[in-house]
Amino acid sequence: MDKKVKKEFDPKIVGFLCNWCTYAAADLAGSSKMEISPALSVVRVMCSSRVDHNLVLTTFFNGADGILIAGCHPGDCHYGEGNYYARRRYALLKKVTESLGLESERLQLTWISASEGNRYAEVVNSFTEKIAKLGPSPINCRSDL
Amino acid sequence: MKAKVGVYVCECGPNIASKVDLDRILETLPALDEYREIELVVKKYGLLCSADGKNYLEEEIKSNGFTHLVLGACSPRDHNKTFIGVCKKTDLNPYLYKIINIREHCAWIIPDKEKATEKAISYLRGGINRVLYQSSLFEKQLDIDPDVVVIGGGIAGIETALSLAGEKRNIYLIEKSGKIGGKSSRFSSLLPRQGKGLALIEEKIEKVSANPFIKVFLESSLESIIGFLGNFEIVVKSKNGNTDIKAGAIVVASGYGLIDPLSSESHSYSESDDVYTSLEIEEMLKEHGKIMTKSGKEPASVALVHCVGREEKGYCSRICCNYMIKIARYLKDQSDAIKVTEFHKGLCMPDKGDQSFHKAMAERGVEFRRIQKITQDGTKISFTGMDGSPGNADFDMVILAPAIVPSEDTDSLAELLEIPVSETGFFQEMHQTTDPVATSIDGIFVVGAAHSPKGITDSIFFAQAAAGRILTHLIPGEKIVPEVKVTEVLEAFCTGCQNCLDVCVYGAISYDESKGVSVVNEVVCRGCGNCFGSCPSGALRTKHFTNPQLYQEVREAIR
Repeated sequence: MDKKVKKEFDPKIVGFLCNWCTYAAADLAGSSKMEISPALSVVRVMCSSRVDHNLVLTTFFNGADGILIAGCHPGDCHYGEGNYYARRRYALLKKVTESLGLESERLQLTWISASEGNRYAEVVNSFTEKIAKLGPSPINCRSDL
Repeated sequence: MKAKVGVYVCECGPNIASKVDLDRILETLPALDEYREIELVVKKYGLLCSADGKNYLEEEIKSNGFTHLVLGACSPRDHNKTFIGVCKKTDLNPYLYKIINIREHCAWIIPDKEKATEKAISYLRGGINRVLYQSSLFEKQLDIDPDVVVIGGGIAGIETALSLAGEKRNIYLIEKSGKIGGKSSRFSSLLPRQGKGLALIEEKIEKVSANPFIKVFLESSLESIIGFLGNFEIVVKSKNGNTDIKAGAIVVASGYGLIDPLSSESHSYSESDDVYTSLEIEEMLKEHGKIMTKSGKEPASVALVHCVGREEKGYCSRICCNYMIKIARYLKDQSDAIKVTEFHKGLCMPDKGDQSFHKAMAERGVEFRRIQKITQDGTKISFTGMDGSPGNADFDMVILAPAIVPSEDTDSLAELLEIPVSETGFFQEMHQTTDPVATSIDGIFVVGAAHSPKGITDSIFFAQAAAGRILTHLIPGEKIVPEVKVTEVLEAFCTGCQNCLDVCVYGAISYDESKGVSVVNEVVCRGCGNCFGSCPSGALRTKHFTNPQLYQEVREAIR
């Protein structure tokens, strides 16, 4: 694909944010009026461990160019240890996405606490940039959700 | 019935209105082809969370007879509860409403008004689609038992019991030994800033005995427990048989133990030597009023050795520095001629008054010697100073400050109560910084040194904190409303693999042998959804966060 075309490409990214830490960080980034890429759409979940393989893969199959899963830092999970489970599922999902011919960078898991509005903005903006460079997702078998 | 969805966008003063073109939203949404099957009412309002705004919304829901409601406003963290409250005043089930955050996630982060408006429309479309997939959920109200079981009759347990007992609340205090008071009642005196000292603790012990709402079980232990917050059923095992108790909460105050000095290679400790632990000195003083060697003489020189076993355990025991200086004062009060040397590896004295206490004792001639390494064999001590130079000395008496370790019952209690134990071996709190007295099981709290090494003051803090939580959560005569957005099992899909049982930190899932399926206790479940991620057969459904609901949001995000 022509690089110039890639530059104009507007990625579609879904961010599954945990209610307690990262969603609060996104709110903080908002109330601090930080500029954040509109490429990412926030989907609130109660815990990063709620984000199961089906949700991630269906989102990719339907044309998402990138998926960000973000929760509380290890040890800070509102539910004790949900984020550890999220991390294990992520490790597995990375391999699955690769086997589908999808660049594994399109899936990212990160920890952002409620006080890290700055970090939220940085993560979203740099992830958007990364996905923009990668170009559109090679998978798009849009099904009826 | 045709769905009738109300969509109200809030101007939030100028906050949203100046950054998002609300009129364009009002024009765009009703014109969309995909909504031709439903009735859509889209309106804007100045400030929905104001008193006028709430009244307006209530009237709109009632007069329009909406089946679903979507609000384009602020973060659900700010006003979700406000608008759930509005829904509750109408016939609309609050779980058929959704707030869409077009302030923090659109207006405030996207400077370009056109882009911000597009994003807001996208989020609102996701919201409209999602509410159509949402189901009514109904809150349950459960009766509660306000009584409380306290495990452990040390200072933390006593304080908890005294803070809670009253007309409408009985306390059951379970103590494994033959009397209450714990280790603090074995001390000779308490530190100076605690006023009358030991008398204060004895006063509390008497208050417990005199309180008609506190029932003390001596030489007793916990035999079994089932249930959940507000409704625990406990069996207490005593010498004379078992007693069944119903209680709403359980407070674990099982206290601490001391490390055996012999578990550290650098220390020796035997009956024949003049080597004592700090607790033995307290008891000696309490009994004989004097600190004496085994041969009945006053020691001319005493070494106080801090941090015994700290390196092995990997944590600081917090209270030893203070009480070792207290022991130095006992010695100096007994005779100024006694030469007292404290061997420490850095002093931990963070409380107010600690520093001046240390200074006062240094002025009275107590030698504080900071060292890197120490080896103690009987009363002979060799050490390496901070500059690396070796030294050795012989004393008449050596007093050790053994590391504080979890009480020996910790593991068995943890197993019975199904609460976790941390790496250090003490009970694990819900959150070290923000939720220190709660455990992963709602209604079970941990206080005092069962939580981590603590002095009397901190134990009392914890006891009162747990009592406060119980007083506000278990109010006699009132009901509790458990979380509604919990997980349910679709029995037809459940293969009985029991993965979900392993991942649930709340112990909310059990296995029904006869049906071969998992069963969720909806009162205990908090709705995190971890089990959902672990289910290989899609047999679980996280209410209000089902995949079909989330897919609606995803679909708009990637449209």
